[in-house]
Amino acid sequence: MLRPRISPCLLIHKGGLVKTVRFTHPKYVGDPINAVRIFNDKEVDEIIVLDIDATVAGRKPDYELIRRLAAECRMPLCYGGGVTSKNEFERIVSLGVEKVAVGSACVSDPDLISRAAAAVGAQSVVAVVDVRLHEKTGQYTVFTRNGLVDSGIAARDFAVRMRSLGAGELLVNSIDRDGTRQGYDMDLIADVRASVDCPITVLGGAGSLKDIGEMIARFGIIGVSAGSLFVFKGVYNAVLINYPKRAERESLISASL
Amino acid sequence: MAAQVARISQGWQALIGIVDYGLGNVQAIANIYARLGIPAMPVRDPSEIGTAHGLILPGVGSFDWAIRLLDASGMRSALEEAVQVRRRPVLGICVGFQMMARESQEGVLRGLGWLGGNVRRFEEVRSERRVQLPHMGWNDAMGTQPSALLDGLERPMRFYFLHSYYFVPDRAEEVLLSTDYFGPFCSAAVCGNVMGVQFHPEKSHHWGVGLLRNFAERVAC
Amino acid sequence: MQARPYQVCRSCVMDTTDLQIQFDAVGVCDHCRVFQQKIQPSWVTDERGRQKLNAMVERIRAHGKGRDFDCIIGMSGGIDSSYLLHLAKTELNLRPLVFHVDAGWNSQEAVNNIERLIDQLGLDLYTDVIDWEEMKDLQLAFFKSGVPHIDTPQDHAFFATMYKFAEQHNVRSILTGANYSTECIRNPIEWMYYQSDLVQLQDIHRHFGTRPLVKFPTTSILRHKVYLPYMKRIEVVTPLNFLPYNKSEAMRLLADVYGWQPYPQKHFESRFTRFYEGYWLPQRFGYDVRRVQFSSLIMTGQMSRDDAIERLKTPPLDDLTIAQEKQFVASKLGITVGDLEGYFKLPKRSFRDFRSQENVYRIGAWLLKSLGLVRGGKR
Repeated sequence: MLRPRISPCLLIHKGGLVKTVRFTHPKYVGDPINAVRIFNDKEVDEIIVLDIDATVAGRKPDYELIRRLAAECRMPLCYGGGVTSKNEFERIVSLGVEKVAVGSACVSDPDLISRAAAAVGAQSVVAVVDVRLHEKTGQYTVFTRNGLVDSGIAARDFAVRMRSLGAGELLVNSIDRDGTRQGYDMDLIADVRASVDCPITVLGGAGSLKDIGEMIARFGIIGVSAGSLFVFKGVYNAVLINYPKRAERESLISASL
Repeated sequence: MAAQVARISQGWQALIGIVDYGLGNVQAIANIYARLGIPAMPVRDPSEIGTAHGLILPGVGSFDWAIRLLDASGMRSALEEAVQVRRRPVLGICVGFQMMARESQEGVLRGLGWLGGNVRRFEEVRSERRVQLPHMGWNDAMGTQPSALLDGLERPMRFYFLHSYYFVPDRAEEVLLSTDYFGPFCSAAVCGNVMGVQFHPEKSHHWGVGLLRNFAERVAC
Repeated sequence: MQARPYQVCRSCVMDTTDLQIQFDAVGVCDHCRVFQQKIQPSWVTDERGRQKLNAMVERIRAHGKGRDFDCIIGMSGGIDSSYLLHLAKTELNLRPLVFHVDAGWNSQEAVNNIERLIDQLGLDLYTDVIDWEEMKDLQLAFFKSGVPHIDTPQDHAFFATMYKFAEQHNVRSILTGANYSTECIRNPIEWMYYQSDLVQLQDIHRHFGTRPLVKFPTTSILRHKVYLPYMKRIEVVTPLNFLPYNKSEAMRLLADVYGWQPYPQKHFESRFTRFYEGYWLPQRFGYDVRRVQFSSLIMTGQMSRDDAIERLKTPPLDDLTIAQEKQFVASKLGITVGDLEGYFKLPKRSFRDFRSQENVYRIGAWLLKSLGLVRGGKR
């Protein structure tokens, strides 16, 4: 039986690992390679690494970092940040990365998704859907460039479009909930889930394992990702990499499914 | 096995050659063997194919892309010779496994044809249910025949899958592992010296490490 | 200078790789003598020790009234600090804030152990993450300097951060797991020079660092031996010295109660320290810190000399592990294994080749010993 995936999401800023709140106030939490190493030993399902500077700074993906991450990673790796072309998809995949995530670029150049899927296969193409609840329209809207630019596109429409162009997976990320630990945005996720048939991974707001359990109970086979939850511990937000042990995951999954 | 390994190490030959034609996580596989103390090396040149006692053919991405890159690497005929003529053990991974079939619905190019069978796309509807594609994540695999490749692996066996196409063997005897995804499909196949796994052992924690170790033991015999 | 003939102590296993070692007429070394004559007589772990400890604990509790925590405990994940945590919470009824400094080299076992203890004891954790770019640069500077004490950046950061936190938050008591039981014999300073010597650290950085030290936490010997205790009334307390502390019993207890995982050797909770003490120090300099650690255990009756001799026959890390650790360390520091091997072949230097406050340490130690405030310690 295929299992729901529980994946840590690591953000890279200026070469270091950071955690943000609503996509701002990056707080340094350590070295990405060391974090990957510790997650390796904890045998996590898969890991997502996003370079949050690249697009905004107009930079290309950091291939040296990607190469080191891919070499170190003993679990499936999804990498995103600064990807704008099919060639970059190919290059990153050939470095040993299972999936490549793209966000801002597929708003300005949606066809990139189909070109990339044709080249590397749909299974390696992840469309990132960074979403804010728009103040004026009250609609879930896609924002790009690390949450700074309002694309004007509704999240659901964007999801459907990306899927039809050939994305193998959608990463649905709630900017409003990022780093808040108040729980996932159920309405947003339910809306997207109902509109596409490909695997989706949700991110933004996980505060406890209970939140993860709720997602699995509601949606069954789904990717559940979290940043703060697996990096911080306790009231002082002590940086301590953590992840539920296999037994905990098994009971979480069987209790929820 | 340790004695065999020691003999080979002294002669700097690799026990395992990991075919590096530009696709697949060659480094991750090499790292696993390094940690196990088993000599394995990326192989980029046709001349190196001959010296390896066993071969691993990794692969990700799309079928045609992989075949094209393999052709462009210049190693294809050396590989054919090693596998089909000298019967060296070979393990195909993911698209590397799919390449060993005759052809794939995903592409137009011909496969290596080392395994009797074709590669098909998962149907949109299987067992009357809508299938979420690609097949992505950790899934169980059940052995359908005894094999040293599965020795010592914790049961139930579990591996990481990431694919939308799967191998359909001509003969049921060639199925080594079966996985359920809206119905059973062949997740590993074996035919003589040719083995293939649909999942990624280099990304499947201790199950994958165990399988790769077992492959090396098989090669060393 | 003529090389000394090889000699090993008849009582412990310290030998002439400690260049300053002295042997008496019966072949017993000065480490042992100092322990027997200076430390042991006043080291009390029976009722008297318990009473002293209780008095300290009362004081700590009094200072902590009305606050979220009454002391901080520096926690590396190692056996000493882990056992201390258990003791502090379950026996001494203290309310510690667990303090961890992440210098980027945590091993998986360390992270697990810290997590287990925090969860099961219901304690709060505070971590300070050292800026990795500065840490890396400083570590590389130490490699390039050719000195033996290349683990100084980690050690220094650990203490500096704790003191800084204590001062900022007005915490009067810092508890550490330092103890005579497993550390009564100290590392010779030729092997590991004082990690708190800020002048030395800054001089090495000045010579070989490539970026300014801005975020990296620093302390100095005068600051934390004089200013903090006497001006700010912040004291460092070592509770493990007032009770019987047996290392293997402590490990068993922690394993049974918390599922605590042991490390292959003392200090191996940090991947860098493992590389340093298991490979770099013994193979580049011939300094095997296990001699020091085993000698302490021999002196306190926790290990037999024969057992120590036997264990010292095999290197702490086998060749395969060394190759992997070199790969890991090089990769993490952003250099190649070739670069690392280059540093390995550099001419060997000592702390004397750079500026230091060694005088201050010597005078201070003499002063404290004369006043009877401190016994033994590093030469």
